[in-house]
Amino acid sequence: MTEDEPPARDARADGGDAGDGDRTDVEAGEDVERTDVDAGEMPSWSESAASRIVTASAKERVFISVAAFVASVLVGSVLVYVSGFLVDCPGGGFLGSCYNPFLVYYYLFVDPFIGGFNVALVMKESVLLLFTGLSVAVAFRAGLFNIGSQGQLVLGALATALALIFVAPYAPGGVLGSLVLVPFALFVGAAVGGLYGAIPGALKAYADANEVITTIMLNFVATNLVFFLISAYFQDPESGSVQTVAIPEAARLRPIVPFFEGAQFSVVALALGLGLVGGTFYVLANTAFGFDLRTSGLQAAAADYAGVDSNKLVVSSMTLSGALAGVGGAVYVMMVMARYRTGIPSLGFDGITVSILAGNNPLGVAPAALLFGVMKAGSLSIDFSLGVPKQLVGVLRGLVILFVAMPEFFRMLARYTPYGPDVDRAVATDGGDDDG
Amino acid sequence: MSSLAVHLDGITKRFPGVVANDDVDLRVPEGSVHALLGENGAGKTTLMNVLYGLYQPTEGVVRLNGEAKTFSSPRDAIDAGVGMIHQHFMLVDPMTVTENVVLGNEPRKWGGLGVDRAASRRAVVDLAEKYGFDVDPDARIEDVSVGEQQRVEILKALYRGADVLILDEPTAVLTPQEVEELFAVFEELTAQGKTIIFISHKLDEAMRAADDITVLRDGLNVGTVDADATSREELAELMVGREVLMDVDKDAASRGARSLSVSNLTVRDDRDVLAVDDVSFDVHEGEVFGIAGVDGNGQSQLVEAITGLRDPEAGSVSFDGEDVTHDSRRSRIARGMAYIPEDRQERGLVMDYDLVENGLLGNQHDPAFAPNGRIDWEGTYGHVTDVIEEYDVRPADPSASARSLSGGNQQKFIVGREFSQEPDVVVASHPTRGVDIGSVEFIHERLLELRARGTGVLLVSSKLDEVQSLSDRLAVLHDGAFVDVVDPATTTEEELGLLMGGERVGTVDAAPPRGDDA
Repeated sequence: MTEDEPPARDARADGGDAGDGDRTDVEAGEDVERTDVDAGEMPSWSESAASRIVTASAKERVFISVAAFVASVLVGSVLVYVSGFLVDCPGGGFLGSCYNPFLVYYYLFVDPFIGGFNVALVMKESVLLLFTGLSVAVAFRAGLFNIGSQGQLVLGALATALALIFVAPYAPGGVLGSLVLVPFALFVGAAVGGLYGAIPGALKAYADANEVITTIMLNFVATNLVFFLISAYFQDPESGSVQTVAIPEAARLRPIVPFFEGAQFSVVALALGLGLVGGTFYVLANTAFGFDLRTSGLQAAAADYAGVDSNKLVVSSMTLSGALAGVGGAVYVMMVMARYRTGIPSLGFDGITVSILAGNNPLGVAPAALLFGVMKAGSLSIDFSLGVPKQLVGVLRGLVILFVAMPEFFRMLARYTPYGPDVDRAVATDGGDDDG
Repeated sequence: MSSLAVHLDGITKRFPGVVANDDVDLRVPEGSVHALLGENGAGKTTLMNVLYGLYQPTEGVVRLNGEAKTFSSPRDAIDAGVGMIHQHFMLVDPMTVTENVVLGNEPRKWGGLGVDRAASRRAVVDLAEKYGFDVDPDARIEDVSVGEQQRVEILKALYRGADVLILDEPTAVLTPQEVEELFAVFEELTAQGKTIIFISHKLDEAMRAADDITVLRDGLNVGTVDADATSREELAELMVGREVLMDVDKDAASRGARSLSVSNLTVRDDRDVLAVDDVSFDVHEGEVFGIAGVDGNGQSQLVEAITGLRDPEAGSVSFDGEDVTHDSRRSRIARGMAYIPEDRQERGLVMDYDLVENGLLGNQHDPAFAPNGRIDWEGTYGHVTDVIEEYDVRPADPSASARSLSGGNQQKFIVGREFSQEPDVVVASHPTRGVDIGSVEFIHERLLELRARGTGVLLVSSKLDEVQSLSDRLAVLHDGAFVDVVDPATTTEEELGLLMGGERVGTVDAAPPRGDDA
C-alpha cells in the first residue's frame, strides 16, 4: 500500500513516534556507536541508562525490548524457584524447589503454540486485543488518553447483539446471511462505540473536561447501563445469568479453517483485525487527517498554526478510537459469546498496555497483542499442567509486561519532561534558539 | 600577561558526530570586556558552557588567573568565581529582588534555622550601591522591567562571588535605552576589577561594548581583534567567511490596492488582559508595513488575531476587501496568507517531524499536496528538496528531523516553506530572530522580492535596523496601541527608541534622554 512512496518514507513507517526514529539516525549516523560515545561525553544525568532509552533509535528500541524480555524471564525464574521452597510437594521437584522455572516458562511461552486448540486460544485473545490496542493507540497519537475503550467496547458489544437479535427474523440464512449480517453488525458496533467515544471527546473540546476522568467515569456508566438494560428489557428468560438470547447462527464468526475447529476463534476476525491494523497505520501515515492527528498529539501549538481545528480533531479522534473499540465489541459478541453476557473481560484496559507496548504504533499493536495472547493462553496451560498457583503466574506475566513496556513508557513520559529528546539540542546548535 | 582572568587553552569539545569547539584559544585579561561573536551554531554557547562547568572539554584546559581548573559542574565554576547569566532569566517571579539574589545562599540566623531577611536586604543594597545598580530590593520580579531583571541576575552572580561574568546574548530582550544602561553597568563592573565575557551575534554591540572581540566560526577561533581597531565589514567577513552586503538595497514601493486591512482591533491575552487596544492599519499590495516595539507590547496577540490563532474581542480583519475576522486559520491559509510565526520551535515546526513532514505543515489540506485527503509524499519530498536547496538549509537532508537543525536553519526552512506558496499576503513575525547575518541578508532579499511581486508584507520585529531598512511605513507599538506611524527613512534610531518607550517624537526635546541617568 505504500509502494508509491519514496524510500525516505520507510524510515517513518517503523517509527512509533513518527519522526523519532529518523531523528536519532540522522544525528548519530550509526546507531550503535552513538550510545558508546554518548556515555563518555554527555554530562551528569544524561550518562544514565534513562537517557539512552529516551534517545534510542528504532533498532535500539527493538534490542532494548528483547533484552528487557530476557531480563524479565531471569528475574521471574529466580522468583519461581525461590517460591518453590515455600510449599511442600512430594518428590522434591526441581533442585529442592517444588517449581521448575524452565517448565513454567515452557508452558507460558512454548506450549501455547502446540496443537490447534492452544493456538486457537492464543489467537482468540490476541485478535480481541488488536481492536482495543488500536483504539488506545489512535487516541494516544492524538495526545489523548482514552481509558474508556472498555466502556466503548461494552456498549458496542451490546448494541451489536441487540441489533442482530432484532433483525434476525428478517435476515436470510446461510452464507448470504453471514455476508449481510456480519458487516451490519460491525457497522453497528463501530457506530455505537464511536458515539460513546465522541462524548468524552466533545466534553474535552467544548467544556475543557479532562478525558482521563470522563472516560473512566463513562466506563462505569456503560457497564451499569448494560446491566440495567439487559436485566430490565432484554433478559434471556431461559438463563439464570444476566444475558441476552443468542444471536442468529448466520452472524456467528466460525473458525472456517479445520485446524481451529471447535474454537472461539475465526480467521475472518483475524483478517479484519489485521486489516484494521494496516488501515489505521495507513490513515495515520498517509492522510491529511492522520497528519493533523499526529501533529496535534506531538505539538498542539504547531497544529493550530497549521490550521488544525483542535476541537474538531479531539472529537473526531475520540470517535475513531471509540469506533475501533466498538468493532472489538462486535467481534467479541459474534466470535466468542454468540450473545451478550455481562462480565466482559478487561479487553479495554489490556488495550492500554498493548498500545504502550507497541509504542502507540498501529503496526506494533499486532506483535504486542500476540504477546498478550500467548501469555494468557500460557497461564491457562500452567493452570492445567503444573501445580503453580495462578497468582504467581500472574506475577510472571506482570514482570514481562513491566520490563518490556517500561522503556516505551519512559519514552512517552520523556516528551513531557526536560529530560526528553531535547538533550541533543546542545549538540547541534549554539545560539540555536537564541532570542526565541 | 600574568593578569589573564580567563584562559581557555586549546579547548576541543566533541559531541557524537559534531565538533562544537575545535582547539579554541580564548584569552581574557582581568578587568576587560570580551565579546564572543559568531553565527548560530558557531560554538559560542558550547564554549561558555565549558567555562561554566556544564560541559567537560574533550581536550584542553580551562585556566582562571593562570591556574588550571577542572569543573565537574556549574557548582565548581561558581565556587571558582565564574558566574553565568543565561538568556532566559532564572528568576522566581513572585519573589522579591532580594529573595532572588540570595536564593540558595541566604544569610542565616537562629543557628541556621531562619533566614536573616534584614541581613539579606543589607547585602543586596550594599552590592547594588557598590556597582551603582538601579534596583529596588523589595520589588517583585514580576513587577520590574526586563532590564532590571537582568541586573538582578548580575547581582545574583556577584552575590555568589563571581569575578568573571558570562552573559549569553544579554541584549536580545532589551530596548535600545536598556542596552545603553547595560553597557554602563559593564563599565562600572570592569572598573572594579570584574571580567566580562558576553555572547552576541550583533556586530555593533560587540564593537560598542567590548575591549576585544573573538569571532568563532564552525567551532574555530577565526580571530581575536581589538574592538577599536576593527570594522563592521571585517567582523562580518570573519563571521560568515565571505563578504557581506551590510545595507539593504530596495526599490521604491509601488503601492497597489489594499491587501490586508485591520480596523479597531482589540485583543485580550491569555490572562484576559487587554493586549491590543483599538489598532487600525492597512497593508497595501507591494508594500512592507513594519511594526516596531519592545517585545511584549501586544505584537504577539495582534499577529495571532490577524492570522486566525486568536479571537479578537472587537474590530475586524479583512483580506482583499473581504471580512475574515471570524474565519478559521485553515481558510486563511487557503486564501494565501503566509505566516512566519515568532516561535519557530513551538509553532512553526514540529520538532520530532523530519523536514518532509514539516514541509507539509500548513499545506496538508492543499489539494496540491494531498489530493482527496491522501498525502502525496513523493510530491512533498520533491517540494521540500527544492525549498532546502533554494534556501540553503543545512543539513540539506529532507529526512533530518527539525530538532537536529540549528535555529538559523530552522528559520530558513520556515521562511522557505511559507514563501514558496506564492502568498498574497505575508505576516512575518521576527523573521530573522536568532538567525546569523548571512541568512538575515538572504531572508531580507526574499522579503523584498515578494514586495516587488506585489505581495503585501506585514513585518513585526524588535530589531530596529531590520524594520527600519525594510519597511515602507513603520508603526511603533507600545502598550497595545500605536504610538505613531512614521516614515522609516526620515526617522532616527533615537527617535524610534523613544517611541518604543511610549513617548511621541514631538516631545523629544522636552524629555531628558533616558540613557544618561544610568
